[in-house]
Amino acid sequence: MIGVNPERVEFYNLSAAQGPRWAEICTEFTEKIITMGPSPIWFALQKKKQSAETEKQFA
Amino acid sequence: MIIGEQKPFDEIWEMVKDHKQLLVFGCNTCVAVCHQGGNKEAEILASLLRMRATQEEIDIDIINGGIERQCEHPFFESAKDLLDKSEAVLSLACGIGVQFVAEKYMNTPVYPALNTTFLGDVKADGLYTEKCQACGDCVLGVTGGVCPVSRCCKRIFNGPCGGSSNGKCEISKDLDCAWQLVVDRLEALGKMDDYEKLAPVKDWSKDRAGGPRSFKLEDF
Repeated sequence: MIGVNPERVEFYNLSAAQGPRWAEICTEFTEKIITMGPSPIWFALQKKKQSAETEKQFA
Repeated sequence: MIIGEQKPFDEIWEMVKDHKQLLVFGCNTCVAVCHQGGNKEAEILASLLRMRATQEEIDIDIINGGIERQCEHPFFESAKDLLDKSEAVLSLACGIGVQFVAEKYMNTPVYPALNTTFLGDVKADGLYTEKCQACGDCVLGVTGGVCPVSRCCKRIFNGPCGGSSNGKCEISKDLDCAWQLVVDRLEALGKMDDYEKLAPVKDWSKDRAGGPRSFKLEDF
């Protein structure tokens, strides 16, 4: 839909009493995201930023 | 209430991608209840559009906002500045709201983010079912409070038809036969005599057959 790998999003349904499980999920997901690397949107934003800086230098 | 469903994202994107500036505008009443067009959904949709624009390296200034109802003038006061400066509006209201915005802002393109689907209820969390077709001549008083116009697939007024089986409609085994529901309800009310009365031919001129309808309170 927006060009982002669906693997980058996960939904969980937890109660307020499941703090340890929440921490576990966060750790697992952080590891997963690190393995996957930056998202395509991050790359697109970097590119945009760079071209804006180049334009500024030439202005 | 009015139920709507968000259009496929690609269809929305195709409508708006050529604008330089866009307001994604929520309607926080009916279509917010079905989680499709409220101010929260406007925020999410605006965010998705920004991500798509970034990916495709297209510069669009996408802002989001919303009001309680896009079908009444007084509610627009709080969003006047936002709308005045917008090049285009993506409305998350039902078809009524989209047209209302379009009428108010003659020179601003207004696009629908939703398909307005039906008038219905909230049967359970996340489940909405059609209950009324605004036919303009309500018969619920004699059908035990079950609408044959919106709930019978054939809109039969003296049902059921031969397709009713074990309380289900021939269209789908998951669909209740409206006339079975009418009978069950009349039985529960002890009003089966009403079932025996032949319904007269319905006056469809009060429905859409008579053209777009309006209603004016003379003392206003």
